[in-house]
Amino acid sequence: MSPGRPELVAPLAVEGLFAGYGGGDILKDVSLSVPAGKVFTVVGPNGSGKSTLIKTLAGLVAARQGRIALCGRDITRLAAARRVSAGLAYVPQEHNVFRNLTVGENLKLSTEFLDGGRLAGPEQRERVLALFPDVAERRGLLAGNLSGGQRQMLAFACALMANPEVLLLDEPSAGLSPKFVQEIFQAVLTVRDAGVTVFMIEQNVAAALPFSDIALVLVAGQVRLVTAADRLLAEHDLHSLYLGEA
Amino acid sequence: MAQLVLNGLITGMIVALPAVALTLIFSILKFPNFAIGAMLTASAYIAWSLNVLAGLPLLAAAVLAALLFALAMVLTDRAVFRPLRERGPITLLVASMGVSFVLENLCRLAFGNLARNFDIPIARPHRFWGLRVNQEQITTAIVALAAMAAVYLLLRHSPLGRAMRAVADNPALAAARGIDRDRTILWTWAIAAVLTTIAGVLVGMDRAIDPLMGWSYIISIFAAAILGGLGSPVGAVLGALVIGVVQEVSTLVIASNYRQAVSFAAIALLLLFRPQGLLGQRRIKR
Repeated sequence: MSPGRPELVAPLAVEGLFAGYGGGDILKDVSLSVPAGKVFTVVGPNGSGKSTLIKTLAGLVAARQGRIALCGRDITRLAAARRVSAGLAYVPQEHNVFRNLTVGENLKLSTEFLDGGRLAGPEQRERVLALFPDVAERRGLLAGNLSGGQRQMLAFACALMANPEVLLLDEPSAGLSPKFVQEIFQAVLTVRDAGVTVFMIEQNVAAALPFSDIALVLVAGQVRLVTAADRLLAEHDLHSLYLGEA
Repeated sequence: MAQLVLNGLITGMIVALPAVALTLIFSILKFPNFAIGAMLTASAYIAWSLNVLAGLPLLAAAVLAALLFALAMVLTDRAVFRPLRERGPITLLVASMGVSFVLENLCRLAFGNLARNFDIPIARPHRFWGLRVNQEQITTAIVALAAMAAVYLLLRHSPLGRAMRAVADNPALAAARGIDRDRTILWTWAIAAVLTTIAGVLVGMDRAIDPLMGWSYIISIFAAAILGGLGSPVGAVLGALVIGVVQEVSTLVIASNYRQAVSFAAIALLLLFRPQGLLGQRRIKR
C-alpha cells in the first residue's frame, strides 16, 4: 500500500514481517494485504507458522522486523488489548470465553476494560446479538454450559462487541464436531456480510475454502501463493505446494 | 441443642469471612494462603492498638485497621508474592508460611504473649425463647452477614468483581480483554485483608487476642473453604456454617478440646466422597 492513495488503504496490511520464539525466526519476510470486506484465509501444513502469524497480528508475539498496519495506521508496537481498541479483534483458538461467567457477563467484559472509544453501546450490543440469535437467547447461562459451536459463536460475538474493522480468527473449526463446522463457517460469512473484514487461519482446508474469498498458502514461514479461494484447489496441487515443488 | 446450633452458626459466620478471603486468593492467585491465620492475628492486634492504645472507639478502630491492614497486605504482595508469581503453587504456599511466621512473631515482639481484650463494656446476655444470646453474637451476625452480602454484590455486579472472576477463570483471555491482572490481584489482597480484619475484630470481641489466635482458626478456615469447593465463595460460606455447627454439636458426644479434630474429619470424609467440594460441580473445567 502506498501512502497518499487512501482509497486503496487495506484494512490489514503486513510488510516484511519476521517473528518467532527463542532463537530462530518462524515467520521469514511475510507480506500480505487483506482487502476490505473479504474473508482472507491462511492455510498451510503443520508448523508452517500460521499460528505464529495470527498471534503476531494479535500482539501476543512480538514482531522482530517489519510492519503491521491497520487501515493505514502502524500498530506494530501496540499491546494486544490496545489493538482491540484500535479496531483489530482476535478470537483465540481455544479457551476463548470465560466458562464460569454467564453469556451476558462475557459480552459485557469484552469491552468493559478496553481503553479508548470502542466501548460498546446498547445499539452495538443489539447489532451483534442480532447476528447470533443462539447466543442472544442464552444470556443468563454459564458460557461453559454452551455447546462447542455456541461457545465459538459467543467468542465471535465478544470480539465483535468492540466494533472492529478486522476480525482475526484462530482456527475457528478446531475441536468442533463436523455438524458445527459448517455452522461456524456460515457465521464467518454472516460477520463478513455485516461489514467486518475477516482474517483467519485454518487447518481444515476443505471445509474453510468454500467460505473464503482469498486463500494464502504459508509454507515454512513464507508466503507461497495468494489466490482466489475457489481457484486454489482447482488450479493448484496443495500437496506439491506444501512440499515446496510448485 | 438449639443453643449449640446457634453458637455454631455464629462461629461459622466468623470463620466464613477468612474462608471467603482464602478462596478468593486461591482462585485468583492459585495457591492456598497458609498465612490466613496469622493475618487474622495481625489484623486483630492492629485494631486493638487503635482501640486500646490510641483510644479510638472500636468501630473507628476496626475501619482504620481494615484500611491499614489492606495496605500492609498489598505491600506484602509486592515484596513477597509478586516476584514469585510464576513459580507455581508450592513455592507460593511456602512463601505464605514464611509470611505467616513473620506476621505472628511481629505481633509477639510488639505486644508480648499476654492475651489482650478490646475496650468494650461487658453486657448481660439477652434471652430469646430460652436461648442465651449475648451482645457480641448479635453484632457478629449483623456484621458478618453484611460483609458477606457486600462481597457477593461486589463479585456479581461490579466491574471489579467481573474482572476478578475473569482473571480466576482465564488469565490469558482476561489480559487480551484489557484487564490488568496485577491491579486485580492487589484488589483481591485488599478485599481479603478487610474480610480478615473484620473476622479478627469479631474474634477479639468474642474471646481475647493472643499471638496464637490465628492457629485456633486456621484448620476451620481451610476446612470451610475446602468443604465448599476451593474457589467458590458461596461454598466457603456454606462450608463455614456447616463446620461451625458440626464442631459445636460434636461437643455433645466428644470432649470439647477435640473440636478441631472434627474439622479434620470433615476434610477427610469430604475428600473421600466428594473431592470437588459441596459447590465444586459448578466450576466448569472443560
